[in-house]
Amino acid sequence: MNPMDPKFHQALDGEIGMDALSPELRREAERLDAVVAMLAAAPAAQGVAARVMAAVARPAPSRPRRMWRWLVTPHSLVLRMRPAWSLALAAGILLLAVLPSPQIGPALGAEEGIAQFVARFPGARSVAVVGSFNDWRPGSIPLEDRDHDGVWRAAVVLPAGTHEYMLVVDGERWVADPLAGRYVEDDFGRENSVLIVQPVMH
Amino acid sequence: MTVLVRLLLLAVAAPLAAQSVRGRLEGRVPAASIPVIDSLVRTAAQENLPTEPLVQKAIEGGAKHVSGDRIVKAVELNLEQLRDARALLLRAGDAAPITPSEVASVVSARKRGLDAPVVERIVAALPSEPRGSALHAVADLVAHHFDSDTATDLILEAVRQGMRGGRLLDVSNAAIQEVQRGRTRAEAVDLIRREIPNVPPPPPPTKAAVLRARRPVGGTAPSP
Repeated sequence: MNPMDPKFHQALDGEIGMDALSPELRREAERLDAVVAMLAAAPAAQGVAARVMAAVARPAPSRPRRMWRWLVTPHSLVLRMRPAWSLALAAGILLLAVLPSPQIGPALGAEEGIAQFVARFPGARSVAVVGSFNDWRPGSIPLEDRDHDGVWRAAVVLPAGTHEYMLVVDGERWVADPLAGRYVEDDFGRENSVLIVQPVMH
Repeated sequence: MTVLVRLLLLAVAAPLAAQSVRGRLEGRVPAASIPVIDSLVRTAAQENLPTEPLVQKAIEGGAKHVSGDRIVKAVELNLEQLRDARALLLRAGDAAPITPSEVASVVSARKRGLDAPVVERIVAALPSEPRGSALHAVADLVAHHFDSDTATDLILEAVRQGMRGGRLLDVSNAAIQEVQRGRTRAEAVDLIRREIPNVPPPPPPTKAAVLRARRPVGGTAPSP
């Protein structure tokens, strides 16, 4: 750092006039005066109250942002339980794990079995199974095509034994089940499908 | 006294049965054909033949919108088949009274294409036992172009080794599957004969199938 010229110092302190300075020092002194004037004209520093009010006036963060902030911010969780309730809860969970699950689905008799029908009829509005097991009554065993891929299905509880049946498409078209594998003449010029139901509990 | 009670029961039961047959046929078959069908069902009952197959055939014809004449002809044909089946069972050594289910089994086997001598052979090999599964097992093999004598030999070998009921169908299914895998019928029969009685059973129904299973709306019809 260069030592300051004593005349320059005296001029800044107002002890001598600016005229006493060399032109170079005079320019420097005028520049410093300009800086001082600019600083004097600047607004006063904001107080605490002003800063708080500015923060309050800022727009609130959006709901997803607040949600995200809540999710990523650690929270303390306090769970108060009586020991008796804790033991009861533990016993309940143990019982659920140990006890056999209750019977789900239809209860099957000793002489009953489950027949599964699957048939592909793309574009059909309805498919039903009609046979000796339901007195040839259309509509009592409808097949379902839940995913609309043209494959119709039904699982039915039937008496064990031999049954004859046909599929009825759209309520009027009678067709033999292509997947039955067993067929007999129906004495009316067509063929019935034959189904052998095995008892489930044999 | 016992004979008197039996006669009384018969006298009461027959009209009730006839009434129930008419009730089941009304609205299901053309009205004009009901008296003829009813009389055929009565004839079957008097001959101690099963009547349910005849009622079923009539209802089936009605459901399929077949004319009354054709329904009557079909019921007459079925009555003849029942008579033939009972005669065959008696010829094969069964003693009267013959159960309706055995008669129905023989009718079904004959309708599926088994010759009378083949059926008689199977009936004779299984005295006093249900033959339905054995007959269907042989019929399954014959339907897949196995020689009927070879098919009968295979199933009767399984019977000799203690297999019964649905397990006999596992034998015929296994042989058919071997043919579908590319073996000749002779090779399939030889292979399965060696596996008897350890032919694999079919997989049980899946849990999902059991959960989905439901009973027919309105219940099931009586068995023959």
